[in-house]
Amino acid sequence: MEFTREIYWNVGRSWWTLLPMYLLAAAAIGLLIYGMRQRLKIYRQGLPLVRTDQWRWRLGNFLAALLLQKKVVRPAWPGLLHGFFFWGFVLLFIGTTLIVIQADFTEPLFDLIFLRGTFYKIFSLTLDLAGLLCLVMLGVLLVRRYFFPPAGLQSTPEHGLMFALLFAILVSGFVIEGARMAVTELGTPLAPWSPVGLLTARLLLWMGEGGLLALHKVTWWFHLLLVVVFLTLIPRTRFRHLFTTSSNAFFADLGPKGKLVSLDMDNEEAESYGTSRIDQMTWKDIFDTDACTLCQRCQDRCPAFATGKPLSPMQVISQLGEAAVSRPGDDLPATVGREALWACTTCRACEEICPATIEHVAKIVGMRRSLVLMEGEFPGDEVMAAMEATEVNGNPLGSAFAGRGDWAAALGVKPLAEDADVDILYFVGCYASFDQRNIAVARSFVELCRAAGIKPGILGKEERCCGEPMRKMGNEYLYQTLAGENIAAINRYPVKRIVTSCPHCYNTLAKDYRDLGLIAEVVPHTLFLAELLASGRLRLAAADFTCTYHDSCYLGRHNDIYEPPRQLIRAAGGTLVEMAKNRADAFCCGAGGGRILAEEKSGTRISHQRLEMAAATGAGELLSNCPFCLTMFVDGVKGADLEGHLRPRDIAEVLAERLEHGSDVAPMDTTSGGKQ
Amino acid sequence: MKILVCIKQVPDMEAKFKIDGAGTWYARTDLAWRMNEYDEYAVEQAIQLKEQEQEADITVLCIGGEQVKETIKKALAMGCDRAVHVAMEAVSSLEPLQIAGIIAEFARDQGFALIFTGMQSQDRGSGQVGLLVAEFLTLPAVSTVVEFAYEAGMATVRRELEGGTRACVKVATPAVITCQLGLNSPRYPTLPNIMKAKKKELRTIPAGELLKVAPRQETAKLFFPEKRGGGEVLEGEIGELADRVIQILKEKTTVLS
Repeated sequence: MEFTREIYWNVGRSWWTLLPMYLLAAAAIGLLIYGMRQRLKIYRQGLPLVRTDQWRWRLGNFLAALLLQKKVVRPAWPGLLHGFFFWGFVLLFIGTTLIVIQADFTEPLFDLIFLRGTFYKIFSLTLDLAGLLCLVMLGVLLVRRYFFPPAGLQSTPEHGLMFALLFAILVSGFVIEGARMAVTELGTPLAPWSPVGLLTARLLLWMGEGGLLALHKVTWWFHLLLVVVFLTLIPRTRFRHLFTTSSNAFFADLGPKGKLVSLDMDNEEAESYGTSRIDQMTWKDIFDTDACTLCQRCQDRCPAFATGKPLSPMQVISQLGEAAVSRPGDDLPATVGREALWACTTCRACEEICPATIEHVAKIVGMRRSLVLMEGEFPGDEVMAAMEATEVNGNPLGSAFAGRGDWAAALGVKPLAEDADVDILYFVGCYASFDQRNIAVARSFVELCRAAGIKPGILGKEERCCGEPMRKMGNEYLYQTLAGENIAAINRYPVKRIVTSCPHCYNTLAKDYRDLGLIAEVVPHTLFLAELLASGRLRLAAADFTCTYHDSCYLGRHNDIYEPPRQLIRAAGGTLVEMAKNRADAFCCGAGGGRILAEEKSGTRISHQRLEMAAATGAGELLSNCPFCLTMFVDGVKGADLEGHLRPRDIAEVLAERLEHGSDVAPMDTTSGGKQ
Repeated sequence: MKILVCIKQVPDMEAKFKIDGAGTWYARTDLAWRMNEYDEYAVEQAIQLKEQEQEADITVLCIGGEQVKETIKKALAMGCDRAVHVAMEAVSSLEPLQIAGIIAEFARDQGFALIFTGMQSQDRGSGQVGLLVAEFLTLPAVSTVVEFAYEAGMATVRRELEGGTRACVKVATPAVITCQLGLNSPRYPTLPNIMKAKKKELRTIPAGELLKVAPRQETAKLFFPEKRGGGEVLEGEIGELADRVIQILKEKTTVLS
């Protein structure tokens, strides 16, 4: 026998079938396009932004995100449920397309039937199993959502409708198959190639041929109708994520990662700064809100949300989306809530995990810019005082600017103004310059440089705060003022390489300052030390110790530097006990996003939560690479009752303790021009 | 309604001060400069009054060298309408009476309904200028004001007195008000206002044109106070220590009386 089937079996291939079918299909596609065009109008409220450059690269991102479900399946649960459902659905889509191609084109036009023989058998089995896979995955997803919902998961009637429609399409598909097989295929060698269809056929056999034919015809039309409804609902429900979430991977920010757009401060015509209304956002910001599937992975990882603060990145995106659709005139900071906006630590945990490639942080900073630049508002008087202190003295601590290099004088490290013949410019940052605890880190770093024969220089009183906390708080004006002063100071000297011991300084100098004219290479101290160690210039006498390591947000997620700090710890003799949340999943210390300047007034303390995670490892030492983290942890161990149990330190301090003080210590190198 | 606000640029108090070469004032090297804290309250109060009395016009006045323009711009960015820069590099050589004389000379016949000043400057701290301006112009003056309300030519203010008591004073304008900590929270300038400030009127008058008062004082010498003995470290049993602390507190302070 020939292994194939008649495509319009039972419903017939007359115009009585084809015409209504084609009309329905055309109407569905028409309504789909019309609906998507209506959505386009919503996105078009936004400002222009180019996100179609480097299109080959973008296309690759898009295909990887879509076909491999790369972002969705991370984490595997429940990501793979969606992944398998998607892959099953893709197979069904391909199968249906093949049927359309044969039944409506190749067969009537060229008499060509390709769904036959072995190919048909494989086709039949694949689609059968794909349908089953979809049904099972949908079932598990349904049980998860309605019977064992994770904390906070919100279900709307729309979710119910979407589940019902998908189930109905899949089940009706099997009923059609079963009814057809019960009449035509039972007992033939072809039947086992559709195992689910075979089972359905056996279940339906009691109806007799008349009943089966009627059932088949009715269900065929019903199935078609469901598909039409599905297509028309895509733009009108969260089914639109089929298009928006996948294409958002195409429109992704290609980096540098997390770099904010520099506002034009010289434009005297500008009447507003930051985002307070939908039409002040870019089209991509609005498109983001449509790409969100409310999966709440961001919310589950947000340190502010986890400690009871009124911020959920998911809610922010939802609220912006609602405003874009129905209330475009709304004042966005009021819609989202000032407390929510101020609570963000810009830790990037939300963006890193988002399967929809949504850019949360820039939106929050955009609204903060509006509050600070247009209203002069801050989360508290202490933040305003820190801003004013920075305006006057170039540091948020309010210390006299002239004493910025005092810590280094005793070490013989000179400002470039006195001696510009150095290997590296050490951009010290405010905390390592003025805060006693962090000065110890700066000293350790200088000792390590010396031991490796590197001659560091500093800017001393010419250095200002890099401006990062101010910028993240929304004070773009102060940030650009500070950046301009720093860049001018750096450019006064033949600086080729800058090393930072603060990842906030690093991120700012290495990415943000590029817009404003900084050219020199910038390296974080952990990378620099790892480099010295690898080249043999830095020699350590390893001594055993056990510790856990905290990935700072700005070295980790913002710059993907995870392994070099760990290599340093191991080289020092350290045994690392990782916290459950490490690397890209690390939990913020609470000080990012300018929060270092602000009091933590609502909820519990983020730093305490992180310290408890560190204490749970049983390691007595908590190593990090960031002065903000160190400050939060040193203060936090007291409040979290962990003093004496957990000792927060910077990696550089541990390394400096293990310097090999032998006769073969590399001599001070004063000749090399900087770069190794 | 015309309002005058008098401000002074002072060094940030966190700086390490050094005595200058002449030994009569602090050296200007390595200092960061800012608006005198009490003058910020004066600027803020003037702006709040303008927000209440829509047609008001605020002039801000500052005496000093070229660099005080930065501080003037901050006042303009906060919301003052126009500025007068009385140019004089060696402003620290003037005594409060002369400063007040300059201001009064400028303000005379200009019809200012209210003149706000800080109650004192953070660096010299004489606390005289505002009151002497009033004296020169024969205006009423209320000092150390911590609450201010204005209605139809009458200002109702509260003054801070010793020991936390307050006095409520009503004064008919024109009048001089000197502002104390607690009066208000000075605003942070918005960026559009910073931009607008760049285009506002900033008139420079050489101090010589307004300085008509001869000095009556002379600063003989500026010096740091001699270092007295440091703290005392008590050692011993806790109970005994507590008794000794109580004894010291009774002898040397009034906190237990």
